[in-house]
Amino acid sequence: MMPPRKPSTALRDPAWLRFGLLAIALAFVAVFLVLPLVAVFAFGIEKGVAFFVSSLTDPDARAAIRLTLIVAAIAVPANTIFGVAAAWLITRFAFRGKNLLVSLIDLPFAVSPVIAGLIYVLLFGANGWLGPWLAAHDIKIIYAVPGIILATTFVTFPFVARELIPLMQAQGSEEEQAALTLGAGGWSMFWRVVLPKIGWGLVYGVILCNARAMGEFGAVSVVSGHIRGVTNTMPLHVEILYNEYQRTAAFAVASLLALIALATLVVKQLVGWRMRRVAPSEAA
Amino acid sequence: MSIELVDIAYRYTDAVALDGIDLSIESGELLALLGPSGCGKTTLLRVIAGLEFPDRGRVRFEGRDVTALDARKRHVGFVFQHYALFNHLSVFENVAFGLRVRHWWKRPRRAELKRRVGELLELVQLGDLSMRHPAQLSGGQRQRVALARALAVEPEILLLDEPFGALDARVRGDLRRWLRGLHDRIHVTSVFVTHDQEEAFELADRIAVMSRGRIEQIADAQTLYTKPASPFVCRFLGEVNELPSPLHAAWTGERDAGAVAFVRPHDLVLTPAAEASAPAHVETVRDLGATMRIEVRHPDVAVPLIAIQERGRFAENVLEPGQAVAIAARRWVIFPSDR
Repeated sequence: MMPPRKPSTALRDPAWLRFGLLAIALAFVAVFLVLPLVAVFAFGIEKGVAFFVSSLTDPDARAAIRLTLIVAAIAVPANTIFGVAAAWLITRFAFRGKNLLVSLIDLPFAVSPVIAGLIYVLLFGANGWLGPWLAAHDIKIIYAVPGIILATTFVTFPFVARELIPLMQAQGSEEEQAALTLGAGGWSMFWRVVLPKIGWGLVYGVILCNARAMGEFGAVSVVSGHIRGVTNTMPLHVEILYNEYQRTAAFAVASLLALIALATLVVKQLVGWRMRRVAPSEAA
Repeated sequence: MSIELVDIAYRYTDAVALDGIDLSIESGELLALLGPSGCGKTTLLRVIAGLEFPDRGRVRFEGRDVTALDARKRHVGFVFQHYALFNHLSVFENVAFGLRVRHWWKRPRRAELKRRVGELLELVQLGDLSMRHPAQLSGGQRQRVALARALAVEPEILLLDEPFGALDARVRGDLRRWLRGLHDRIHVTSVFVTHDQEEAFELADRIAVMSRGRIEQIADAQTLYTKPASPFVCRFLGEVNELPSPLHAAWTGERDAGAVAFVRPHDLVLTPAAEASAPAHVETVRDLGATMRIEVRHPDVAVPLIAIQERGRFAENVLEPGQAVAIAARRWVIFPSDR
């Protein structure tokens, strides 16, 4: 393999322009990204560590954290399975309406999360299409945990599939055909050939999916009903606290969300680095 | 195991890939499918493997109809053009793959598996590289891993898609001779696809020349070369001059004014002639080392005629550009004009 060529100097701009642009970019990052992040943590511990800890161990806060984890624990695996299945279907088979399916997978990205929440209220709410039937059978979806899970699943639908489709398209299906001629059944093909090939891409998609599942506000807010200790997720809990002028407590919980986000970024970076390291040797 | 294809047809959405193929391959034979790209040869190979299913026709192995059987159950070794090795597995595990995915009651024990994979790696001369990953191997080595992997399941039919296409010329030649030797030892019925006539001639017992989804001719190399069944076969197997009737009637004795004589460059005889009696002129003379390549312009033929002469013979009778020459041939094949 050829060593990577140094970037051409022909396109290099004059020093004042390069440093000027760099300064603008750094200032932008500082003001819009770093400062707010620092502010979240600063406000969170402004009344001391003890208050910070008690804000997080408060029963309502703990219920919110637990609910967020439960929702993620259901929505993320569901979307992982769906994403792998959809990517497999789209990259390995030709069928009518394939382009439509690809577009539909993107729908949750295109639709405002609030609309996504409203869809479920209109479907399952007391006055919705299925409302009377659900009420008759004593099933609660809206203003209950199932609704939150549904809304979260909808919003985080595309992450895994979006990550895998281009990857599997680039890899092609020759190795799977080889496995087929060697007598591999569907199950061993998936575990021994497909999964190792898409592994890191899948992890990447799952991480992004999880981050969004834990942080989702809009859609969940519409279907949750904001019942403290029952249907409050962490983002909703932050909002409630803030609206009740419990600023420090709100920021304490928010800083936990921010920590999750930072951890996600680090893991994402590591996985991305790992993927790039694996990819060239596979291409060779 | 013998292979019999009966009236195989295959359509892609916008093109016909196979248009009624009949082909019988004897047990233990090494057959080449030769043709230009897009002639359907790879599709035919994939139909035999069960990776594509024909729209029409039957595939039989040793008389048994396998048309509806999928690739997993056909028990056919397939070597892909770009090898399709499992990059996340070592060479050893690549070769062991076909044994490991068997149902547990057919799966060999650990020691047995190790012995068999070891034997195969010895067979393809990769015994000391078994712990490497495919990315650490050269093209020729990867090719041999792919072959060992296909042979691990003890197939009675081996199919190879452009087996040497991705290799450089020297490795290609070596591997070709090695593969022929291997086939002579293990005698598995083999079919390989190639667009390289030399490769087909050197390796195969018989060659099926394909064009536009049909088989033009099946024969051994000598027959193909000396008795081509059609102008296509003749043109595909190397450079050939096509002489219209007035140029050849004198020495072929062919009366039909539409008949075209196909003459290979090394069979074209040029003799210096007086200007008035010979309208053909030498245009260029190129020194190719062992041979000389002479281009002759004749007013009745649109493209220059090509003659190849051995260096020694050329020296006995040097031709210069501009020299008027008379044209004759040592060997030729006559076809009615297809224009």
